[in-house]
Amino acid sequence: MLNFLRTLFLTLSSLLIVTAAPAALSAEPSMADYKYVLHIDDMDPSKQELVLNNVHNLLDAYPPGEVEIEVVAYGPGLRLLFADNVNAKRIESLSMSGVRFSACGNTLKGMTKLLGEAPKLNPVATVVPGGIVRIGQLVKQGYIYIKP
Amino acid sequence: MGNPNNFKRTLLGAACALALAGAGTAHATNWLLLQGTEDPGAAARANVWGFIQADYQKDFSDPSAAGQYVPPKMLGPDLDSQDGFNISRARIGVRGTGFPIDSHINYFLLLEMGNNGITAGNGAFARLTDASVTLNYIPGARIRAGLFKTPGSEEALQGIQTFDYINFSEPANQLLLERLPPRSYTANKPALTEAQLQSGSTLNGFKTPVGAFRDVGAQVFDAFDVGNDWEVSYAAMIGNGNGIEFSNYDGEYDKYLYLSGEKKFGGKGPRAEGLKFFAWGQWGKRLLDNTNDSTANAKLYDRNRAGLGLKYLKKPFRFTAEYITADGMIFAGPDKPSFTFASTNGADAKASGWYVEGGWYIPKTKFELDARYDTVDLFKGRTDDHTFSKWTLGAQYHLNPKTRLTLNYEIRNFECTASTTPCTNANKNLDGVGNKVGVQLTAIF
Repeated sequence: MLNFLRTLFLTLSSLLIVTAAPAALSAEPSMADYKYVLHIDDMDPSKQELVLNNVHNLLDAYPPGEVEIEVVAYGPGLRLLFADNVNAKRIESLSMSGVRFSACGNTLKGMTKLLGEAPKLNPVATVVPGGIVRIGQLVKQGYIYIKP
Repeated sequence: MGNPNNFKRTLLGAACALALAGAGTAHATNWLLLQGTEDPGAAARANVWGFIQADYQKDFSDPSAAGQYVPPKMLGPDLDSQDGFNISRARIGVRGTGFPIDSHINYFLLLEMGNNGITAGNGAFARLTDASVTLNYIPGARIRAGLFKTPGSEEALQGIQTFDYINFSEPANQLLLERLPPRSYTANKPALTEAQLQSGSTLNGFKTPVGAFRDVGAQVFDAFDVGNDWEVSYAAMIGNGNGIEFSNYDGEYDKYLYLSGEKKFGGKGPRAEGLKFFAWGQWGKRLLDNTNDSTANAKLYDRNRAGLGLKYLKKPFRFTAEYITADGMIFAGPDKPSFTFASTNGADAKASGWYVEGGWYIPKTKFELDARYDTVDLFKGRTDDHTFSKWTLGAQYHLNPKTRLTLNYEIRNFECTASTTPCTNANKNLDGVGNKVGVQLTAIF
């Protein structure tokens, strides 16, 4: 009985987490005056550094709480959010400063098929159903779209 | 360093202990990783790169009383002039991760088209110097296979495009830049007059390219973050022991071990700052026929090398020191393919050498001043024991981080030091070895 209750609790908890995550991403009311979505879909490794430099500069440019930033990665650009990416520690540090990182679920599916296993993502990354859809949602919410 | 086996055991033990300690998230700036790995999750599918080194050198050596020249008095690799322009290196390569969403595998390919010991005299306008694939599946034990630089001396292992001098130190040139022996006995080349050189006679008796500090084989290596900004690296390799040639005709394999510990100060890439201590050893055998009897009776000789040293770089200062010891196959000059210098044979001789060098990056300018002292004692204890020493004074102007101009002035003292007849004769040629000046333009792309 105890095992059954524990299994039930874990299953329900998992379901709540899975269903709540996209909702939390899509409609967070924000008090920030400026909101940016940065888009990376590039194979070029130098673009990864450029995006992160942009994020860093945006955080520097505004007082705390006045800017909200989300990085959306899809296509070859999803490599930025791989767990073993050379910039992983920097990404984790930016995440602690409030920057959100979204990984495209469609790209992830495609890569999983090619690799034969799902690539491990940086734990701070949140999987969204579609990267391009996510960008559309954010732009509709008033985010300034940047593609370095 | 005395007993190579003890040294090998110590290195091997340390390497095993590190592997058992578990791999960290090692990604740092050392030559093993810089040349053998790519940034995970951020490597290009095919990153085209390379460099060109164009130079002018002038050797001020005088001919012997008989009007003859020996190799140290001539400019390599052709050894037929004392001054001139050259493209000493022109390399182009490609490296990356062939399947970019899988960081477990990367490759490195490099082609040499300059005029140097790799290409000159071998009828090839280009030679493959590197072609390797690295598998990064096992934590703490990356595997690199193919043709690449062997783990060893700092001067030999470092990317040559970032080397701060035009010419190698004498220990690196004499003991490490291997000239592989011809398959059959080849007589020494005599000293030549200017007229003989101009009419096509050559001072080079070797038939294959220099080893280029490389081998074809497989290497296990990795680096570990051990805390407090210290990184420990190791490498163990086995190879054909035939340089950039591909065959293993002697049936013997070379073994290589390398261990380093580095306190990282910051930066990335080949100019990362830190204080590194390193030790290495190489053990192999070579087939050499040094008997002039028209019979194929080549014998196997040991070729063992070992060294230790340190490198400090924190701008504006740089300092490097290394001690190298050698047992067997002591090079006696490009004109002596049988490895016989004067009366004795280098195949079973011993040698040692060391160098110290330093640099000062003049603050708020693009100038850098360099100085190096190096010395090598060849054929130790033999009747033709001799010492090659030189000072190199240098200045560099960095036009940008990838393009620089290097000016070197070498003050050389080459002599046969034993008080015996072989030395008396050898010094008739070596007495005239003079200083050398060079200017080199390096462009990396």
